[in-house]
Amino acid sequence: MRRYSDDLGLLLTVLVIALTAVFLLGPILVSAAMSLDSRSFLGPFPPPELSLQWYERFFTEEYFLRGLRTSVILATIAAAVSTVVGVLTAVVLDRYEFRGKEALTAFFLSPLVVPAVVVGFALLLFFAKVGVIDGFARLLGGHIIITAPYTIRTTIASLVGISPSLNEAALSLGANERKAFWEVTFPLASTGIVAGTVFAFAFSMDDVAVSLFLTDPQNYTLPVALISYMRANFDLTIAAAAMFLVVVTLALIFTLDRIVGLDRIVGQGIYRA
Amino acid sequence: MRLSRSAFLLLVPAIAVFTGLLVLPLGGILGESFRLFVPGRVGSAADAPYTLANYLELLQPTYVGYFFTTFRLGAIAAVVALLIGFPIAYYVARTRSRRIRNAAIALLITLMFLSALVRVYSLELTFGPIGAMMPVLRFFEVSTNSRAYIQWLVVAGLLHFIVPMAALTLIGTIQNVNPRLVEAAQALGALRWKAHLTITVPLSARGILSAFLICYTLCISAFVVPMVLGKGKVLFVSNLIYRRFSEVANYPSGSAISITLLVISLVIVYVVSRVAAQRW
Repeated sequence: MRRYSDDLGLLLTVLVIALTAVFLLGPILVSAAMSLDSRSFLGPFPPPELSLQWYERFFTEEYFLRGLRTSVILATIAAAVSTVVGVLTAVVLDRYEFRGKEALTAFFLSPLVVPAVVVGFALLLFFAKVGVIDGFARLLGGHIIITAPYTIRTTIASLVGISPSLNEAALSLGANERKAFWEVTFPLASTGIVAGTVFAFAFSMDDVAVSLFLTDPQNYTLPVALISYMRANFDLTIAAAAMFLVVVTLALIFTLDRIVGLDRIVGQGIYRA
Repeated sequence: MRLSRSAFLLLVPAIAVFTGLLVLPLGGILGESFRLFVPGRVGSAADAPYTLANYLELLQPTYVGYFFTTFRLGAIAAVVALLIGFPIAYYVARTRSRRIRNAAIALLITLMFLSALVRVYSLELTFGPIGAMMPVLRFFEVSTNSRAYIQWLVVAGLLHFIVPMAALTLIGTIQNVNPRLVEAAQALGALRWKAHLTITVPLSARGILSAFLICYTLCISAFVVPMVLGKGKVLFVSNLIYRRFSEVANYPSGSAISITLLVISLVIVYVVSRVAAQRW
């Protein structure tokens, strides 16, 4: 039995999907086209001729390169520290039962609901009070606290899926706690842990709200450099920078897919064959 | 297993990090928020008297307005994101083609990870006063400088971020709703949209609520989107906090605004998740 309302519903769904795809992707394609503009000023879309001048400008501008260098170093160290802290914490939260465990878990995930600007502002005052002046140290502190909840959460999620009997088997076969962890639990959880590291790296690379409060003239991240530049002059160097960031994102997603598989992030659900 | 001494040692790094970088700083701004600010200074004096003035100031219509704008535009964006995200998630969750499913998920995750700067810059280049859509906007005589238009642009910026997020969260939810139920309802004569409205939507209520919560908390703490797309005409509370630092160095007031925003966010998260736990 065919019903017109059913067809209409399907049509509406397809329409919503198509319009959303245009809304989400269209502006990025506009940026991509404009980043190749050969005009020396910001003219109307589309660019009459193509050139790589804006990319050349982005990649030769010391102001941006310095930010990029800081961003990469910062994201690498922050992701590494957060991963170590996250794994240690998640192991305890997953394996042990103790009073106040729920509260402690909620506490460790709480930065996810604290607005990033509040974290940045609070750290600014705190670092001034205790005398942390070095911009890089301040940025590192800020980036660790915003990325740690992600590594804790993804590690807990990957540990929950591992049957405790595997660990018990290792123990009954003569391994001590440490050996059982490193040879059984850790390898099984490692994909989830690496996914958390990639998340942490990505969030650190992208942060503006916390970093803006903690930079100094020598130590600033690429997003901070871009947003300051954007507010002063809205030219197409930013379009080239945006395309560079798109490539970075694609590389991270590709890595994530190789390591974990994107489908596993979403899960299969219980009603799929 | 009880928490042994060695297990406690494993928690030490996290407790140190969270105390030093979250608890103490937040405690610091809580204290600062009750200090008197003298204009011209950077922050409050070490012996500044205690006062409620920084909080009372927020009751003025101008400041209430900033909070109202933030929560209103955030709510609009979160609701629209769910309305758009649900059909997308449904389609991806139920499609039989593995290729479509994988491509859609990869695209959504990529869009979710995309830098906020890429979004705001691209939206500005498309819908802004020099943007690619300008001929269309001019035809309909839309003023890109009006407050109303800028508000919509800010909502668009928020949507660009949270629609992929909402869709991804909902895919997981819809996958766990048994598709046979809708088929059964249809076989018994229900119209398809009605079957979805009475079966799929109520059964995914919990997931919809948690998706709403994620989207809403992201929206009300949004910073880059209103900062760039708002052009100073539409400011969120987070932008106000930044201005307290960058323009006047009035740290006591910035602290009071931060504490207020934090408390309201936590109350919203708490109330919504409480309601969810009770009803479903």
